[in-house]
Amino acid sequence: MSNWEILWSSRDVFLQGFYNTLQLFGISAVLAFLLGSVMVFLLEGSRPRLKIPLRIFIDGMRMLPFLILAYLLYYGLPSVGIRMSAWYAGLTALVLYHGAYFAEILRGCRTTFPLGQVEAATAQGFSLPTMFLRIIWPQLILKTRGLMGNQLIILLKDTAFLVIITVRELTAAANSLSSTYFIPMEAFIVVIGFYWLISIGLEQFIKLIGRYGAKRGFENA
Amino acid sequence: MDSSAWGLLAYGAWTTAWISGISIAIGVLLGLIVALLRVARIPVVHQVLGTYISLARATPLVTLVLFIFLTAPTMGLDINRNVAGIIALTLNTTAFNAEIWRSAFNNFSPEQREAALAIGMTPWVYFRRIMLPQITITSLPGLVNEMSFLIKGSPAVAVIGVVDLARVTNRISAVTYEPLPPILAAAAMYMVMISLLVWLQRLAERKASRLAV
Amino acid sequence: MPETAAVSIRKLSKSFDGTEVLRDVSLEVQPGEVVSILGSSGSGKSTLLRCINWLEHPDRGDIHIAGDRIGVSDSGKLMSRRELAGMRARLGMVFQGFNLWPHLSVMRNVTEAPIHVQGLSKAEADERAMALLEKVGMVDKREQYPYTLSGGQKQRVAIARALAMQPKVMLFDEPTSALDPELVGEVLGVIKDLSKEGYTMVLVTHEMEFARAVSDQVVFLDKGIIIEKSHPSEFFVNPKTERVRRFLELEALVV
Repeated sequence: MSNWEILWSSRDVFLQGFYNTLQLFGISAVLAFLLGSVMVFLLEGSRPRLKIPLRIFIDGMRMLPFLILAYLLYYGLPSVGIRMSAWYAGLTALVLYHGAYFAEILRGCRTTFPLGQVEAATAQGFSLPTMFLRIIWPQLILKTRGLMGNQLIILLKDTAFLVIITVRELTAAANSLSSTYFIPMEAFIVVIGFYWLISIGLEQFIKLIGRYGAKRGFENA
Repeated sequence: MDSSAWGLLAYGAWTTAWISGISIAIGVLLGLIVALLRVARIPVVHQVLGTYISLARATPLVTLVLFIFLTAPTMGLDINRNVAGIIALTLNTTAFNAEIWRSAFNNFSPEQREAALAIGMTPWVYFRRIMLPQITITSLPGLVNEMSFLIKGSPAVAVIGVVDLARVTNRISAVTYEPLPPILAAAAMYMVMISLLVWLQRLAERKASRLAV
Repeated sequence: MPETAAVSIRKLSKSFDGTEVLRDVSLEVQPGEVVSILGSSGSGKSTLLRCINWLEHPDRGDIHIAGDRIGVSDSGKLMSRRELAGMRARLGMVFQGFNLWPHLSVMRNVTEAPIHVQGLSKAEADERAMALLEKVGMVDKREQYPYTLSGGQKQRVAIARALAMQPKVMLFDEPTSALDPELVGEVLGVIKDLSKEGYTMVLVTHEMEFARAVSDQVVFLDKGIIIEKSHPSEFFVNPKTERVRRFLELEALVV
């Protein structure tokens, strides 16, 4: 059998890894985005007792390597009595870490909004949550789509770190196949191809949102 | 944690610093060369480099580190863990740096070129004395930002057994059975490194904003 | 012919994408002479000026600077970059948009080419630069960077920078068009001083009064052709063509 035939015969391992990576990516992307949005909403208005801890959390995450956070949740937390499986620890790390990055992207964009928009909404009797949800949030998404897209690709790549805390994702699949049959070249080419495919898909998706935004005059990311 | 634990942490921090430092230095320079080749739009070379950049940006560092470390022996190359780690980090950061340099080139005003040619500079003197210094200043904030991304990605080398600041925490807790203190200490040390770079980035941004005439 | 012309243009033609912007233009500028090129926008006057130092390559015709042909070497081939740079160093050019190099201080903008093109020592270049900055009234700003200067100050530095190469001819491409009205005077003042010192200058401008005061010769371009070439006393008082008469009337209205 050629090396490629070996890989084909063990395609289930790849597909399982691919599925696990997509699952981790999909769930954590949605949750991280929601977490980021909630944090930006909480920064809205004047709530100093919330603002300071939120800023510390956001800036702290941005100064930390992702793997250290994963270590902290998986290896560190059990000593204070919180035990999670590798998968849950990994998912939580992805959500917290990238939630902070999403929050920072949205916050940075929020500061560029003209004051008049909020005043116009307040004058019409919008409550703060409704105003945020109906007026600010949709614009934030359209305006930050380029940065968001980049962040999603970084999130995708960060899922690979979880192989180090023993999550069975895509890179783990390549690693185990290459050590079982000693065909690292072929195994990793397939896996890198998968990552490339998802990245290109993400870029296309962002372009699609861009076309939607362009119709409404949001030319720039 | 006792003094031997702190000693190990310092050793891990030093490993992270020098492996990242070498990758950054090579990556900034190679990025400039790749950008120049891309700006020159040489057929074939342009497409090959474009594919490299697209692939390198989509490939996770962990995957790249494993790929290089495991495939090098099958191609008859005998490289140790540190070298494999440096190659992977460099391949990764070069792609991002190339795009930063390239956008600085593309945004450079052609009027300054005319002023330089009109005063009798050859294109080479113009590139060296007028264009490159300014491109460097405008690229610097982006390059420094990419440096902090590289440091945050550098724990990927732990996957092939390089004992960097991330992996050293495992070493320590294997002895002390207390994983939390070394992880928190390592986190603090990463924060120091990154905040240093963030501070440098602010300086670079202030300097770059002066060029916007 | 008394002496070699500082600039001699013969039957110059230039097209952009099939549109002819210059047609058979011929012009002689004698040493010490100040020539103003006038014309409405799109008449080709900036292109003519840019052809003189080969920033635009003419399609036909030739240009000699102090007797030497620019752009094409004796063997008939296009000049190498190095030869071209050497020819261009004989011409100083001042642009509408200043084009200062923002990463260099005022002083270094002026000394950059003398040091790195002519090979002067830093001390020599500094000495030369100080004299020129004195002339344009920018000595006290010599350590500042371009972003701190007003438009008029930038243009005065740009003039000093061009002069630093000790050019045989100075070319001005609408040097005051990008300036706020209150800053125009300081730049024109500097150019006027230069004309008194005997510099050879070719300038494209919209400042009619100024052109009248400093020029030895006024050239009027219309659709790429020189339709009048005369002394300002003749040009402004008694134009030969209907086209120039209309142009001057319109300009007077604007002022």
